[in-house]
Amino acid sequence: MRRIVTAILLVAALVACKSKAARYELKGEVVQRNPATSEITVKHEEIPGFMPAMTMPYKVASPLAAAIVEPGDKIAADVITENGKDYWLDNIRITDTSGRKAPKPAPAVHVLPPGSRAPDLELTNQDGKPIRLADFKGKALLITFIYTRCPLPNFCPRLSSEFARIHDDLAKTPDDYARTHLLAITLDPKYDTPEVLRKYGLAYLHGDPSGFSHWDFAATSPETLEKLAGAFGLSYEEADNQISHTMNIVLIAPDGTISKYWTTDWTMPELEDALRQAASRSSR
Amino acid sequence: MRLPVITSIFVIVLGCSRGPTREEVAGRALYQLHCSQCHDNPPRYLLTRPPKLDKMFASNTLPSGTPATDEEVRRTIVEGLRTMPAFKGRLREDEIRDLMAFLHTLK
Repeated sequence: MRRIVTAILLVAALVACKSKAARYELKGEVVQRNPATSEITVKHEEIPGFMPAMTMPYKVASPLAAAIVEPGDKIAADVITENGKDYWLDNIRITDTSGRKAPKPAPAVHVLPPGSRAPDLELTNQDGKPIRLADFKGKALLITFIYTRCPLPNFCPRLSSEFARIHDDLAKTPDDYARTHLLAITLDPKYDTPEVLRKYGLAYLHGDPSGFSHWDFAATSPETLEKLAGAFGLSYEEADNQISHTMNIVLIAPDGTISKYWTTDWTMPELEDALRQAASRSSR
Repeated sequence: MRLPVITSIFVIVLGCSRGPTREEVAGRALYQLHCSQCHDNPPRYLLTRPPKLDKMFASNTLPSGTPATDEEVRRTIVEGLRTMPAFKGRLREDEIRDLMAFLHTLK
């Protein structure tokens, strides 16, 4: 009998520590929603006993909630946590919708159409040397915009990784290598000094500085960046040391005219083919 | 006879009642927000595959080959390393502390 009681006590003790669900009250503002993953990112006040004030993503118990809330909404919700590890939001109530963002009007920029002459603006490269877009006349030039602190793998790390593959591929065919050039322009000229850009570039050039002769990493003044953005249709906005931006890739033909733009729909082989083709046209 | 039974129940309850600290919970959230998307589920097109960070403090050296010390990990977070972006200016000191507390639970 005593053994049975002991066994029951032990099992009860184990079960008791397996299920440690707790409920906390969250109040905050929706920053982002992702119905595909049933997640919303909330900038919330301190949750006493659970978490300090911060912005972070939460799974939601009801996928519908992730589709209904909108960025800017003030919400109240219950944070459910099990064993202090898994946590999600339940019982989401929208308390104020006045902060919903109005759709952004189309920016009043005059994007240069293909065939236009690319603006000849001054930049400073990873060696601190001034360079101009016109310096690359005679070569097909592929330009993109990045910043070294970009933490989103699907944005700048993807762009730089794919540019690195293009660089590596072109290096295998010396003729095309000599007739092409890559240029990454930073969106964060305050932080991305030539020294920072050099370190960043070396990481994508496998540590080989000779690659800079084919791939420049450059900064501009904020004013020049604005001009380039306007000319190439780039949007960017800085907040909390993070820059939201579109992914713009521009191909400049060897004669200095804009050949093609890409934003979202591109692949590395497609960029590489277009670059090689533009380069080959110059030598005909 | 009863003493060992009571002691063992006491030990089990005590052992599992040590939940994560406030810093570890906050650090886990920061990890999911800033680190997980590259270190746990890296997109296939990244040039170099970021290392898994579980058990990072269990070894004497970090995946980069440097000593597995708080100082080195902190430096990597703040300054970045190779293709890993720097988090300078984007994580507050208390957030780095929370993140470090969580990283220590991964061993």
